Amino acid sequence: MAAPPGYFGRALAVDLSEGESEPLHLPETMLRHFLGGCGLGTELLRQQAPAGVDPLAPEAPLAFVFSPLVGTPLTTSAKFAVVAKSPLSSLLNDALCSSHFAIAGKLTGNDAIIIRGSCQRPSIVVIDPDGVRIESAEQLWGLPATQAEQRLRARLGKSYRVCAIGPAGERLVRYATLSHDGRHAGRGGHGAVLGAKNLKAIAVAAHKKVATADPTAVLASAHELRQRSFGPATEKYRELGTLANLLAFNAISTLPTRNFQSATFDEARRLAAEEISELRAVTRNSCASCSIGCEHIYAVHSGESAQTARVEYENVFALGPLCGVSEADAVLEASRRCDDLGLDTISTGGTVAFAMECVERGLLAEGWLRFGDRDALLRAIDEIGSRTGLGELLAEGSRRAAIEIGQGSIAFAPQVKGLELPGYEPRALQAMALGLAVNPRGADHNRSGAYEADLSGEHDRLVGGREHVRAAIRTEDRAAVMDSLILCKFLRGVFADPYAEWAGLLGHVTGWDVDADELEQTARRIVLAKRLYNEREGWTRADDWLPERFLSDELEVASGRAASLPEGRLRAMIDEYYALRGLDERGLPSPGTLTAVGLDTASGFGEGIRVAHDRAARLDNEAPRPEPHPETVGIRSQRWPSPSQGKRKPSR
Amino acid sequence: MGTPKASLAWHGLPLLGRIARLLARSVSGPVVVVRALDQALPALPRDVAVVEDAREDRGPLEGIAAGLRALPAGTRLAYVSSTDVPFLHPAFVRRVIAGAAPGIDVAVARTNGRTHPLAAAYCTSVLPTIEEQLAADLLRPAALFERVATRFLDEDDLLADPEVGLHDPRLDSVRNLNRASEYASAVAEPSPPVTVEVFGALRAAGASSPVAVRAATLGAAAAASGLALDEHVVAALNGDQISRDPAVPLVAGDRVSFMSADAGG
Ligand code: SF4
Repeated sequence: MAAPPGYFGRALAVDLSEGESEPLHLPETMLRHFLGGCGLGTELLRQQAPAGVDPLAPEAPLAFVFSPLVGTPLTTSAKFAVVAKSPLSSLLNDALCSSHFAIAGKLTGNDAIIIRGSCQRPSIVVIDPDGVRIESAEQLWGLPATQAEQRLRARLGKSYRVCAIGPAGERLVRYATLSHDGRHAGRGGHGAVLGAKNLKAIAVAAHKKVATADPTAVLASAHELRQRSFGPATEKYRELGTLANLLAFNAISTLPTRNFQSATFDEARRLAAEEISELRAVTRNSCASCSIGCEHIYAVHSGESAQTARVEYENVFALGPLCGVSEADAVLEASRRCDDLGLDTISTGGTVAFAMECVERGLLAEGWLRFGDRDALLRAIDEIGSRTGLGELLAEGSRRAAIEIGQGSIAFAPQVKGLELPGYEPRALQAMALGLAVNPRGADHNRSGAYEADLSGEHDRLVGGREHVRAAIRTEDRAAVMDSLILCKFLRGVFADPYAEWAGLLGHVTGWDVDADELEQTARRIVLAKRLYNEREGWTRADDWLPERFLSDELEVASGRAASLPEGRLRAMIDEYYALRGLDERGLPSPGTLTAVGLDTASGFGEGIRVAHDRAARLDNEAPRPEPHPETVGIRSQRWPSPSQGKRKPSR
Repeated sequence: MGTPKASLAWHGLPLLGRIARLLARSVSGPVVVVRALDQALPALPRDVAVVEDAREDRGPLEGIAAGLRALPAGTRLAYVSSTDVPFLHPAFVRRVIAGAAPGIDVAVARTNGRTHPLAAAYCTSVLPTIEEQLAADLLRPAALFERVATRFLDEDDLLADPEVGLHDPRLDSVRNLNRASEYASAVAEPSPPVTVEVFGALRAAGASSPVAVRAATLGAAAAASGLALDEHVVAALNGDQISRDPAVPLVAGDRVSFMSADAGG
């Protein structure tokens, strides 16, 4: 059956161990159920990943997942999701990244590229009009992702787009990133997953076209959306970027400081966009197909050579206030080093800040690692990236480090499900506190944007209750759709009637008669599908929780009011969240809930899953053992069957 | 004065609207407005409860009783205010409430030797006593103060609170408006001095922040900063609650932080 417009209706599965690739047919029901990006990635992972697999094992798959809007002129749509089991959380990890790789990757003729197996030696995967092949990465191993990307494009040609890992990924740092064109699929350790496969990079060259159902309507929508993207709803991102949050968050006691011991940082002004942007050569950049351009690139005054660093709130918060460091150059240099090494700045800052507090409390002997010490921060980052000294422990993330250190340190390890917290103080943002606790990915601000409600004034942000639960669900649902369509969430403010408008865009692209109600149900389905995947991997209700610090220690906000989150209040919010989501007391969907969102076998949806799953298993069984591959190995690439040839791989 | 006091405007807001919102800022529980039978009121925030005096023209105790009856079960204490006190300061309210320590039934402000039964904190436990008095037509608050454990908060007590001393040194929180001349003089007073910070892209290039302005409401502070409180702008008050309601009243010493509504990202 032909794929719907906007899709190719297939995924490419590349098995590094076997040295072969195969197409997987993606039925239209699956595409409509999960859209693309994070949604489709969740379902693909459920099908393709063996239950209970070690995230760093060869058989653990990692999927680059595109979306129906990629390749259209719709602003901010050039994004892709990377989905795998996280080495930090051992649960689902869906990270987004942007730009040309999204377009070129999709225009290889695939809605997803799934990598499994592992290479014997450092390698890259190339997908181009000639097929799929593995090439040596010996010359690239050890390089920062950006340099590897540049060299590969010099070698292969400018039409190739590259996603690569840095040295931290090679060394299996559990929060290593995967990068493309300076953007990162940053959270949860995808870099380590590829590193464990000995895969430095994947290079793709577009060679297909994808149709849209109504090109005229798509073009008109793109034009109109672009106009709106120049308006006040995105001004913050255009003018100062997300770093504009820092000083405002400090004013409202929401800026995590010194490993969440405080929510205000006396020296915040020294790091604020309003202050430092005037002192530095700042350039702006944007992802492909984006009319907003939120990236702000600052000059780093460090050492002899001219350096630059991409500046966002999250990296400045994590490497600045969270570690007590107030010197802008040190924070920018720390951020730049994280980018070079391929480290997630949030998890790096969180883990280093945790270690600093351990030193402060006498739980670690590394006396050099003090809050506020810029040199200590930079040394810690280097040690993590190289897994030397204390870095060997900190490369494991704050949860594993706390378990190793013991002595109650888990109470102040700044993580949920193993993923370090972003820059939103949960005690002062209590809808966000719930969002962080129940998020399938762990402590994450991208899949749960409940802070939006806390910061809108629609409820008392310091006293979580029913309204906060509803707000958390609302933002989680919206994120599920935006991250699956995919549209950049910085565009969210321009939609007056989001689901209806998104349904309109999706309809123009795919020709589906889709409406707001259907997309709202899709949102619920995606959120629950993530929960189901996690449950299969060992998640329990106890994982939907916050570290003890947030429940036992009060903060004082500027007004003098206490910001506290008693255990009972968080539990009540979680109970309410489960009830409103149709989950039982264990946090799992009831049969009625599964039916309501079309995640049951009766909907016909389950059958599609089984077929694909059986097939993957059979290939594993038939596969010969891999042999060390020579410098360049042509992968035994299967010719794509036309849709009419059906789903089956030709027998060998 | 030609207009019911509740509806008299003070720097852009009817007095009742200002006082109800100021009390909401000052206490943790709900705000209850007690009106005379069929009295027309200016617009109030949605979460303000309105009840009526059981009987008309029976003085403050009748209204206090109606208000106490309307409080949610379990409420220990209520601050009681008249509506004609535009200079009421939340620090003053908190000081009076703090005066009703355990063992005290009523804490009442007393300035220049004058007791202010409508600038006082009443434990809900005094309601039966008030009702007994009302039944016996003992309508004077002073009689209540004699029967229950009452603490009179004189100037020194009130000003001992550093916040009150700083922001309400003349104790204008009890300055009420009984004559047209008093109203005219209150209107002639400038709006309270507040500090305004503007963050991020909202801050005009080259503009300094924070700045001192005079503003009696959030809307006035926004206007003084060249901003409109539309869907793209929110304000934090003293680093605490966030609002985009232009009617939020401001008082001396407030700090208003304007930021992009699309916070986060
Ligand atoms: S707004 Fe920023 S992150 Fe979003 S697509 Fe544009 S440049 Fe990329």
